[in-house]
Amino acid sequence: MNTAPQAAAAGIPRPTMIEFRDVNKYYGDYHALRGISATIRAGEFFSLLGPSGCGKTTLLRTIAGFEDISSGAVLIDGKDMAGVPANLRPTNMVFQSYAIFPHLTVAQNVGFGLRRKGGTAAEKARRVTEALAMVGLAGYGERAAHALSGGQRQRVALARALILKPKVLLLDEPLSALDKKMREQMQVELIRLQRQVGITFILVTHDQEEALVMSDRIAVMFEGQIVQLADPETLYRRPTSRQVADFIGVMNFLPAKILTEAVGRIAIEVQGLGRAEIDETQAPGPITGGEISVGCRPETLTILYEGQTASDRETPGTVEEVVYYGDMTYYDVRLDGVDSPVRISMRNVFGRPVLDIGTRTRVAWSAGALVLFR
Amino acid sequence: MKGGGLRIYTILYLVFLYAPIVLLPVFAFNDATIISFPLRGFTTRWFAALAELPTLHQALKNSLIIAVSSSVLATVLGVFASRASTRYEFPGKGGLMGLIMLPLVLPEVIVAMSLLMVLLGIGIDLAIWTVILGHTLICTPFAIAILSAAFQSLDRSLEEAAWDLGETRLSTFRLITLPLVMPGIISSLLISFTISLDEFIIAFFLAGSEPTLPVYIYSQLRFPKQIPAIMALGTILVALSVLLLTTAEYFRRRGLKKTGAKDTGGFL
Ligand SMILES: Nc1ncnc2c1ncn2[C@@H]1O[C@H](COP(=O)(O)OP(=O)(O)O)[C@@H](O)[C@H]1O
Ligand SMILES: [Mg+2]
Repeated sequence: MNTAPQAAAAGIPRPTMIEFRDVNKYYGDYHALRGISATIRAGEFFSLLGPSGCGKTTLLRTIAGFEDISSGAVLIDGKDMAGVPANLRPTNMVFQSYAIFPHLTVAQNVGFGLRRKGGTAAEKARRVTEALAMVGLAGYGERAAHALSGGQRQRVALARALILKPKVLLLDEPLSALDKKMREQMQVELIRLQRQVGITFILVTHDQEEALVMSDRIAVMFEGQIVQLADPETLYRRPTSRQVADFIGVMNFLPAKILTEAVGRIAIEVQGLGRAEIDETQAPGPITGGEISVGCRPETLTILYEGQTASDRETPGTVEEVVYYGDMTYYDVRLDGVDSPVRISMRNVFGRPVLDIGTRTRVAWSAGALVLFR
Repeated sequence: MKGGGLRIYTILYLVFLYAPIVLLPVFAFNDATIISFPLRGFTTRWFAALAELPTLHQALKNSLIIAVSSSVLATVLGVFASRASTRYEFPGKGGLMGLIMLPLVLPEVIVAMSLLMVLLGIGIDLAIWTVILGHTLICTPFAIAILSAAFQSLDRSLEEAAWDLGETRLSTFRLITLPLVMPGIISSLLISFTISLDEFIIAFFLAGSEPTLPVYIYSQLRFPKQIPAIMALGTILVALSVLLLTTAEYFRRRGLKKTGAKDTGGFL
């Protein structure tokens, strides 16, 4: 059985489950995967995140064996998968359309993969019952598959893929067809299920929030390449490029200049904010030679009310736009000396008024929350 | 009155289209040898007379053999062609499919003549199987049209799912693809059968000494005495055709419902 969870708990690094070695894929002239190299660890909840058309599904399908690669190698559990057809790979897939066989019952769908496995009919029936119970569909076995709701089809697809105890479960945008409430509920259930079975899950999604919520690690893809691979917090706090920063959450960008660069410390001059000194870990990206800018997340900026003082630094500005969300208010504030406003998110608290457009205000910030792109 | 002209046009259109067919059963049950009004009384003796015509029975047998064979052949070819055209991209696909569909619009008399010339040219004797050949040729486009719709409404990931769950390409086709396009297959069989059964020109050119039912009917029209019996036969054929086409459409719609696909039109 899978020992990955225990290994992780003991602090031992998890063994590698999937390895991409410089994978390239062409559709005719179109270069869909451009030199993908990455490893996915055993027992990990891994996400492929990127905008539509960036090659996420294609990469997932190279693991499943539906797509031949043009060059490079895909290894599963240490074995090169070149020439191994999909039906002989230790992976199973939950399709975006769920691909529930419409002419079969729920139980026949779930037990489909057991047809070629050993064991008595009674044992197979028991495994189907177990699998259905695991996804919360106990008692649904005799229903016709085509009469199920979206959420139920999704669960059948999950049970059908997990019943074979694959080494890797592949999920292609499994939640995109569900409404918001159902989606959030299924996110929690998927995380619980993954912990329970300990199988490596690889999720394809274009929803950055979903990836952040669910994953141990995320690979962000653009145009056939993995541009950053990290855990959710690193990805959010230390994006290595403006592109990633922009795709994940909201990031304000301010033009900046580098003044001096000493050992481990970088002195910068930021438009609107002034001079600041940051740690070199706050410039995680490679030097591109392009425009230099500084990024800060809306929640790292705070609007100061009368009588409040900043714990670190502050800058004056004018409120240009107010968006009220109930629990939160988003302000667009133009800092003095800056062309475009920055977005600031503030939690609404009792007794504190929401500011009007045009109000002069002060914005508190901290050099430690800045990210430098150069 | 608004739309009055259009209404009259529609009524006239339907009368001209269906009056001859309505007259068929009317005279089939009319107790007279001469096809004319007024009607003389009700009889079923023309239907009984059909039982006493051995040449008719032979023609019916030929027709059935030809219709069954060519509908099966056309459907099998149709399954291969539509599967290939909906799943794979290959060079010259458009042109190739166009050529296969061409007999749909080509005048049948041209098809029949050219087939006859080729067959005689290479010295092949006309027989039942030469008609089967011709009918397969004209039925295949219909089979492809029906089956392409069935294959198109089949979600490609269903086959991938079965493959992913351990089935081979072949067993996937048997367990998933075939059951899901079965309504299309049945519909294709029935329509091809009906087309072959009714077809006259190709059968007339290629049948040799083995006439089919339509060819037999045509040959009997020279004998006025036989005409009421032919009317009875025609009545049976019309009823049978309507029944077959309705069944075909029923299966086509049921298939759509089962796979939850949208109706993209059919022949009825
Ligand atoms: N079978 C195919 N033939 C040609 N191009 C394809 C095929 N499948 C995908 N592509 C192209 O490859 C790119 C990546 O597709 P995909 O992996 O589905 O993106 P994603 O899942 O990230 O939205 C897209 O531009 C798509 O048009
Ligand atoms: Mg996709």
